[in-house]
Amino acid sequence: MNRFRHLVMGRPNERMIVDYRDDLRLFPTRAKRAWLLFLVLAWIFLPAVWDNAPFTILSEHGVSLNTLAYAAVFSIAAIGLNLLTGYTGQVSLGHSVFLAVGAYFTAYAGSTWDMPMLLWLVLAPALGWIVGALVGPFALRLRGNYLVVVTLGLVFIGEHIFRNWKSVTGGSTGTSAATVPVSVGPLDARNLEIFGREFDEDRAFFWLTWALVALVAWLVKNIVRTRPGRALQAVRDRDIAAEIIGIDVGVAGYKTQAFAWSAAIAALAGALYAPLQLFIGPQDFNLLISIQFIAMIILGGMGTVYGSIIGALIITAMPRFIEGYSDGELPLLGRLIPGDGLPAVAAKTTDDGLITVSSLNVVIYGLLIAVFLLVEHRGLAGIWVRIRNYFSTWPFSY
Amino acid sequence: MSTDALLRFEDVTLRFGGVTALHEVSFEVEPGELFAVIGPNGAGKTSIFNCLNAVYRPSHGTITFDGKPVIGSKPTEVARMGVARTFQNLGLFANLNVIDNLMLGRHLLMKSGFVSGALWFGRARREEIHHRAEVEKIIDFLELQAYRYQPVGMLPYGIQKRIELGRALSMEPKLLLLDEPVAGMNLEETEDMARYILEIRNDLKIAMILVEHDMHMVMDIADRVMALNFGEPLATGSPQDVQNDPHVIAAYLGEAS
Repeated sequence: MNRFRHLVMGRPNERMIVDYRDDLRLFPTRAKRAWLLFLVLAWIFLPAVWDNAPFTILSEHGVSLNTLAYAAVFSIAAIGLNLLTGYTGQVSLGHSVFLAVGAYFTAYAGSTWDMPMLLWLVLAPALGWIVGALVGPFALRLRGNYLVVVTLGLVFIGEHIFRNWKSVTGGSTGTSAATVPVSVGPLDARNLEIFGREFDEDRAFFWLTWALVALVAWLVKNIVRTRPGRALQAVRDRDIAAEIIGIDVGVAGYKTQAFAWSAAIAALAGALYAPLQLFIGPQDFNLLISIQFIAMIILGGMGTVYGSIIGALIITAMPRFIEGYSDGELPLLGRLIPGDGLPAVAAKTTDDGLITVSSLNVVIYGLLIAVFLLVEHRGLAGIWVRIRNYFSTWPFSY
Repeated sequence: MSTDALLRFEDVTLRFGGVTALHEVSFEVEPGELFAVIGPNGAGKTSIFNCLNAVYRPSHGTITFDGKPVIGSKPTEVARMGVARTFQNLGLFANLNVIDNLMLGRHLLMKSGFVSGALWFGRARREEIHHRAEVEKIIDFLELQAYRYQPVGMLPYGIQKRIELGRALSMEPKLLLLDEPVAGMNLEETEDMARYILEIRNDLKIAMILVEHDMHMVMDIADRVMALNFGEPLATGSPQDVQNDPHVIAAYLGEAS
């Protein structure tokens, strides 16, 4: 657009678009590019400065690099669910099962066959894709609450299989993923050495998982801004009109494909979850995990990619905060509320109290879902858009 | 019956339980023709469109479009044959902006799937740029420049009707079905819409079937008119002939005693 700058009097609006290539850029404004640069730098350097002054506040409040790696894994799963629920309008309570497919596959293939990381990073989503494509056709004839019930059934079928297919899943006790290879060439996440410097596992997994968040976010953002993603949104907004302009909603159509790709992304998250968690069992993939994913995308913002990541960060970090609170050990926030942490919350099962930390978390998920659906159904992303619109036209109100 | 008709309905009968929505309806539309269907509420006008779009399946008769049978096809296959449509109560994708709605009209003209879309560089990007430019022609044609990036659900009704016409046009159809394009519009909006319809006929040479209650508009712009009542054709011919047909007058004004 610099070629045209001299044609415009004064300083042209930065967002003046004179070329379709300009129009299709993911980071069109200087502010957005600066933000991207900031995130890349944070990704590179955060593990290095994590133990230094201002950042220690986070770890003192229970949010470690390990927590952030979990948040990354859940971000990937939330992006996958958002592709299905936010963009295609199909609610799924079954995403913990797709997560489990990837996790059990990686734990088994990595431990038994010593499958290298680059291979299970591809094969786990492929397996998830197939499972999603088998579940997807149920969405063709069911919508709304009925589809929710079917996907809920998937969770129980999944749990039954995980508890009984002992040779693969280890049954109710679970299975180890500690020996799953997590290395690319000379870089091994369990024993990372770059330029002679050694980094611990938490740091290695932070880099690995967040790199994959960036990759998945980019891929999904591309899907939703091109032909297949527009078709998904058309199906969500008005499926009969979508059919009449030629969008296939049949058995091999867009609803099924949305399920398949969404499940593939969830399985990728599961594949990372297994070596991060070291040991996985059926309790890692129950209904509550699915509801957490729903809470993430409702809180962050349905139909946005970045909202999924924000939602995953908040929902993953929140239990750690609450745990810290109930112990009364929070150095900064603890001072604001006097006494030994939150009243009536038992930090350990042996403590007295009305409610345990994990039950309190569940209550808060429920409250967040209800409040956001009632007050701002577009989530934090919707609130952000409103703030931005207000200031971009300031001081005028429209 | 001419052999080069674009669309041919022959004895099409559509029943819902005991109700006969269409009874032995026959008509033809020539390439480039502006054919209007009029009739009181419940006469079966929109049912004609739903049969043609393969949303409803007639119990009897044949529909031939461009030499191919329509009955038994799926809606997406009819779209592929070259039939585009606007809806009486709007069928836009409310959360998407004007560009995305018009790009969706080009769905069948584009090819990218999930994989090439996700990878962006290469086919998907080339395709986006090419079709974005095509969509811009329609934005110019329908004077939608002011609304490009606004979610269509937030726009005024008259503009939404125009966007829907734009989405149908971006399919590059051979036949355009317009279901009450000026319903609920004021005089100025109606005249704008009539102007666009005439430009589509004269410049783009796309055949159209127009279902409309606004008699002034129909009589002014249509080449031929078919009047329906209770699912049965009363008269088909030039606007003057149909206007003066005693059956049509009776259906609209009641029998003269």
